[in-house]
Amino acid sequence: MGDDTDAKEKDGDALQYVQYDGSKEETYLPAIRQLISKDLSEPYSIYVYRYFLYQWGDLCYMALDSANELIGVVVCKLEPHRSGPFRGYIAMLAVRESHRGKGIATKLVCMAIDAMAARDADEIVLETEVTNTASLKLYERLGFLRSKRLHRYYLNGNAAFRLILYMKEGTALKRPPGMETAPAGQMMGGPPKMEEYRGFAQDVGVGEQAFVT
Amino acid sequence: MADPSLLHHDAAARDTDAPIASNGTGPAFASAESSSFAQTSLPLRQAPRRGAPPQIHDVTEKFTRACQALDVGQLIKDEYFTLFESIGAIEIMDAKMDSGFLQPGETLEDDFDLLAPLLPEELIGIMDQLLSYEMAWHTGYPLSQTLFTSVYIDRLLYPEPKTIPQAQFYRGDIPDDKRPGTLLDVLRAYCLALIKGCDYVIAKIMARDYFEEEDFATHTYNRVLFVQVPIDVFLRELDASVEMIEDSDLKIDDELRSAIIARLHFRKSFLCALDPECPLELLSNFWPPVLPHVDKVNDTQHLGRTVPGSFSTKIQRRLASTVPPRPIVEVEFKDALQTLKQLCADCEEATRFKDLPTDPLEYQSFLWTFASRQPAPLTYSRSYLSNILFDPYILNAPVSLPLEDVKSFVFHESPILDPANWALSPPRNPLMPKPPRLQFALLIDEFVERVGQPYLDLWVALGQNRCRLRRMLTHVIIAWDMLQQDAVFVDADLVVHALQLNIAEEVMDSPLLTWVYIKKLWMIEKVIILGFEQDIYLPDEHAGMYYFLSLTAGKRKDALQRCAEHLSERCIQFVQKSRYQDTNDTDKKLAFIDSELQQATGISAFAKALHGFYVIANYLHLLPCPGRPFSTEELRYELRMKPFLTLQPPEVPPFEEFQTALQPYGAYSDPKPSINDDLKQEHSLPWTNIDASLKAAKDAFADVKKRGAKGAKAKGVEQAWNKETQGMLASCVALGVAVAGLKSAVKNTELGRGPQLKVELPTVDKRYVGGWVVPKIVKE
Repeated sequence: MGDDTDAKEKDGDALQYVQYDGSKEETYLPAIRQLISKDLSEPYSIYVYRYFLYQWGDLCYMALDSANELIGVVVCKLEPHRSGPFRGYIAMLAVRESHRGKGIATKLVCMAIDAMAARDADEIVLETEVTNTASLKLYERLGFLRSKRLHRYYLNGNAAFRLILYMKEGTALKRPPGMETAPAGQMMGGPPKMEEYRGFAQDVGVGEQAFVT
Repeated sequence: MADPSLLHHDAAARDTDAPIASNGTGPAFASAESSSFAQTSLPLRQAPRRGAPPQIHDVTEKFTRACQALDVGQLIKDEYFTLFESIGAIEIMDAKMDSGFLQPGETLEDDFDLLAPLLPEELIGIMDQLLSYEMAWHTGYPLSQTLFTSVYIDRLLYPEPKTIPQAQFYRGDIPDDKRPGTLLDVLRAYCLALIKGCDYVIAKIMARDYFEEEDFATHTYNRVLFVQVPIDVFLRELDASVEMIEDSDLKIDDELRSAIIARLHFRKSFLCALDPECPLELLSNFWPPVLPHVDKVNDTQHLGRTVPGSFSTKIQRRLASTVPPRPIVEVEFKDALQTLKQLCADCEEATRFKDLPTDPLEYQSFLWTFASRQPAPLTYSRSYLSNILFDPYILNAPVSLPLEDVKSFVFHESPILDPANWALSPPRNPLMPKPPRLQFALLIDEFVERVGQPYLDLWVALGQNRCRLRRMLTHVIIAWDMLQQDAVFVDADLVVHALQLNIAEEVMDSPLLTWVYIKKLWMIEKVIILGFEQDIYLPDEHAGMYYFLSLTAGKRKDALQRCAEHLSERCIQFVQKSRYQDTNDTDKKLAFIDSELQQATGISAFAKALHGFYVIANYLHLLPCPGRPFSTEELRYELRMKPFLTLQPPEVPPFEEFQTALQPYGAYSDPKPSINDDLKQEHSLPWTNIDASLKAAKDAFADVKKRGAKGAKAKGVEQAWNKETQGMLASCVALGVAVAGLKSAVKNTELGRGPQLKVELPTVDKRYVGGWVVPKIVKE
């Protein structure tokens, strides 16, 4: 959220930032898919988008230009994580190439974080390729820290960093209901739930996380 | 996306960071187990019940009615629709997802004649391309994007031949004039041995802990890689091929002839080295012969000629229909050979494990050093070493390995471990108290049993890829933390019985607790050091993390100090009792404790010096410091310390204490004015602290070096140990230079204006030791 980004934005085409609306899937989804899969070697099926947008459409924000063209998008989810905390997850982030470097991605991410904070998120996480400096910088400027390195995380064999932002004190020691007293180590091995891990944030590293700044 | 079944494995294993499962000697957290676990706990759809006769319901009307309640385009999601399912889904008729989709005019299969005669150059070309793909597979890519794209391999495996003679580039009867010629026969033998090698690789990897897809892809797409066929069959085929090529009737250029023979020899030696049946004592004989053949292959690679169409992605369609088409992984031949050489070198190194003295601390040094090799050992090499480590011959050593470890630190010539204790029988009347010496034996046996799993967990963690190692250690630490709580009770019981025997002064205070604590602290240090090595910490976090490292190593130092003091007392006791042999032995033992003590001292002091340096760098704004509008220092501290928050005794200092250590002059953005004068004066506290720590570190590492690898129980990896110790000393010198540079620059400038300098943080490959980020001062 550099101060200069706002100034830059004023120079360009005025963008409007809008929340996704499920009733307008036909209008928005094709553009979102196109923007996000542009740099992916393997596109996500429409169900991946619907999985997020159907349940957490209110955590998806879009940047539209004056002609209502989609310039950028962020897609998230927010649900209790098996380890305890109420976890927000930034799944996809993309900005059209011609509009990069203007702080649009940062603005989208900030809106998503604000929305997740308003909904009481304990933490927000995401993965991005270790070589994706632009993406790392964006999130680290906002307060995210690297928590893990994930070996060969993407289909292209590249490693990822898991980034985490704590929103509330006590998040580290949060346990799922009914397991409040369990020591951390014992419950971490709980049922491995199909989470954000691998799978869809493929290749090009949520290639999306690639563009940014 | 990947085949759902694959992904499932993958996802389950990928980030569970599972703490150690109950069976550390088996594939305790291999993907297979985790995923079966996942299958039972996920909200999965019920499978249709088998057996009951199918009942048919007409739902047309119900369906039509239900549809009317929905708007066009309105979505419905049922609770079983998981992210995993959405990822597994593909869209039919989308060329990028649907591998069965044919572009206009495209054919389903390639039109490649497998029986067309080959030129010798083409044979060499195909063999080398196969070798490249084999190595690509070793680095983690699936067979479907590597070896299984070969039309020759495909035909040998599918349709599945019942016998090896049936495994041909054709099936059934063919006219004599179509029969494959000599060169095709040679290619067949080469391919068969290659496939068997893959079978061996998979067997070895799956026998140990690994993470599917992250480390390695074992999927064979229902192709059976001659699992049942013994190795001699393949060796015979290779030998026969060599004879055919050597036959002077075969008209072929001599250079090409010897190039082909070199490849067959390579394949034979490699297959023998991969043989999982190879007895432990012979292992080391098999790797050295491979390399000379690899060199010959390398020297003649230019003779090869590629055969267009002999590799095709279209085969993927028949391997797994639910996976999108994926490109063949392209690997440069020279890179593939590099990988192969690395594989051979790592495995050869691993075979040295069996020659180590039976000492778990030597094992630990070896495992840690092996995991630290650069480039990082491939999954196969790691499994290879793990298979040696977990060989019954090693694991079922006549002595208890964990107990040997304990002895090295806290019990030496101790009445508690007197073999006579184990010879005592319990009183016939169970109501009578057992003799104290027997109690010692029982307590120790119980403790050793209790230690077994956490102990193996540590070894398993040391066999993982480097990223996993760091994460798995945080779980192993928790297991050792619980062990530490249990050790307290055993220690208390030991004291009771020692008092009964009036030998309390011969027993160290809280011996087992001390031992567990030393091991646990060592692991915490490794987690932090690995964090630096893996670039987990941002530059402005360095001060805090080195501070924490310094604290942790300092505690280990104190614990080791207690061991050393006890041993010294024992020496005196032995001398007084004229037990000179025991005095000598204990002295030797002290050498190890002293080496460890100096090592911990060095780490603690050097981390403290770095902490001091980075604090000053933060005040001088020499390190990038993000604005972080969404975060606070407290929240980031909590996140960083998460793996250690529950440990007992508490290892994580309270935030206030941490902040005081990190910001002695107040906030970096608004420091107390006294910092100006302090930094300008060479003999002010911030500088003298750093200098003193640095000197202590240098002295300690020099002492460690003098004592040598043997003193540190790292004799088996002496070379690497020397290099690292030397690296620590070099790091000390480099930090000294940086400190001097900063001191002199600050002297002549006003704080706030910022001295005209830059702090450069070397990337991991430019550091003397990976986990030690020694900055460089560069004047602008």
